[in-house]
Amino acid sequence: MQWIPEYKGDVPRVERFNFLSRFTHWGHTVTFLLCLFTGLALFLDSADWLAAIFGGFHGAGLVHRIAAVAMTIVVVIFVIGNFKVVIAWIKDILRFGKNDIIFIMLFPLEFLGFKVKVPPQTKFNGGEKGNSMITPTAVIFLILSGYIMWVPSIFPAGLVRLAYPIHDISMVLATMMVCMHGYLGSFHPGSGESFWGMWKGTVREDWAEHHHKTWYDETYGDKASGE
Amino acid sequence: MAKMTNLYDVSKCTACRGCQVACKDWNQLPAVIEPFKGNYQTHEDTNGDTFTIVKFIEGEDPVDGVYWNFIKYQCMHCSDPACMSVCPQGAYSKTSWGATYHDPEKCIGCQYCTYACPFEIPKYRAREDKITKCTLCVDRVEEGLTPACARTCPTGALKFGERDELLQIAEERAKFLRANGFPRATIYGKVELGGLNKLYVLTDTPDKFDLPLDPKVPGQITFWQNWVQPYFGWLIPIALGGSAISFVTTRILANKNGDHTEGGHE
Ligand code: HEM
Ligand code: HEM
Ligand code: SF4
Repeated sequence: MQWIPEYKGDVPRVERFNFLSRFTHWGHTVTFLLCLFTGLALFLDSADWLAAIFGGFHGAGLVHRIAAVAMTIVVVIFVIGNFKVVIAWIKDILRFGKNDIIFIMLFPLEFLGFKVKVPPQTKFNGGEKGNSMITPTAVIFLILSGYIMWVPSIFPAGLVRLAYPIHDISMVLATMMVCMHGYLGSFHPGSGESFWGMWKGTVREDWAEHHHKTWYDETYGDKASGE
Repeated sequence: MAKMTNLYDVSKCTACRGCQVACKDWNQLPAVIEPFKGNYQTHEDTNGDTFTIVKFIEGEDPVDGVYWNFIKYQCMHCSDPACMSVCPQGAYSKTSWGATYHDPEKCIGCQYCTYACPFEIPKYRAREDKITKCTLCVDRVEEGLTPACARTCPTGALKFGERDELLQIAEERAKFLRANGFPRATIYGKVELGGLNKLYVLTDTPDKFDLPLDPKVPGQITFWQNWVQPYFGWLIPIALGGSAISFVTTRILANKNGDHTEGGHE
């Protein structure tokens, strides 16, 4: 059995993500997961076994804070260093339309492996647009509420109290999305090829055309604006 | 076991602050010197090295004119403490006789308890990254002694004993005060938050003593503890389970249809 779709270097490939996008994506993936497991040690009310991995609860708290700062830096680098890409990404999300809604309605079937006829998608399909809205928003709330919880004494008490449920709700929403997102971006046979887009930067040209027809046509196909 | 606690009678207090000093002494708490604020109160609030303070409250009543009240202030040892329910480390416990005890060994300094407490009593001690608060002298009481504050009180304003008995004394004292020039004299701690393990006899309404009339655990905290913590997290295993199911069904369906799972040819 195959885990991730095999990387094929000998077929035509097209660029999907530049170096900075890929670097910061894996940067926030690692730091997010570190924050998640150290945070869950508390969320699950004294999950001693989980904390033990980080050398107890003090160690877990330290790792949580170091990873949090690292993640904040990674996110800032991505937004500032890759400003044009971020704008293009937001514009793509704002193209949310009929084809995206059809995608999302058919998605449960595609997710389970049934063959469905999906209308042409832009760079990010309906599901990825949803993910691009929910997960980064939740991460921003995690960061904001997290720093408030870190140094509560300089904030109004009412805000600190609000930060607790916000931190947990954002954590759950982001983690729920990341579970499915991480799976779709790797082990899922249909969309797994996208892993190579995030890892090496390119995806198979036929896959790009098949999965993101609108994007492919506009960037590399007939409608490409002469680059 | 019968509930044991302090009864503090405001009408007998001379604000000598002997209790404050005795507490520092017994618990070996270093002095915390705060700048002079224009009144007799030594500390704005309890802090990491000060478990109890005597508050000096000046105010003006539209009817009675100027008043100047003293009150000893510390942990109220609630019967169902919010600090205990939010603590992710189980650092809090209730003794059989009603003290809310905080174990510094288990504490990781997250400070959830500070913000969950209706009185914001647990305080952060930065140098140790831990929370501290009044222990009701658990260590003394379990050895048959009275708490340091009550033992030291020269006027009998602080009395340690069984809560039921103290409550009776308090009722009588409040009745006496009401008949003798303090018509609003009342008891605090009898019904508040389901009954505190601390009793006060006040010469006036609680708000004149900086005490909340109707102390409550903040709404954000109950929402977090009663809804988010127990139920919301289930979305994560559901997402994981869905992915695991998809992992299997995608491969079964691909095998049945005879194509290789090499990446998305429908
Ligand atoms: C800039 C980012 C972040 C900061 C500054 C931050 C900070 C904190 C702080 C100070 C706490 C209190 C517990 C302690 O003292 O150790 C905490 C708890 C927690 N954090 Fe974070 N955090 C951040 C990001 C995250 C992320 C990305 C996740 C998960 C995906 C997360 C999940 C949690 C969880 C589950 C808890 C436990 C809450 C509970 O006890 O219910 N945090 N965080
Ligand atoms: C767990 C391992 C993870 C894997 C295998 C993974 C994989 C991927 C892949 C392959 C893409 C590109 C999808 C495309 O071609 O459009 C992607 C995009 C993205 N990733 Fe991840 N990722 C992981 C974790 C995370 C985490 C932890 C976050 C954020 C907290 C995150 C946020 C995003 C976002 C916002 C995008 C762009 C929107 C989208 O395509 O859904 N990823 N990821
Ligand atoms: S020692 Fe007694 S009289 Fe003095 S402040 Fe404390 S309670 Fe009041």
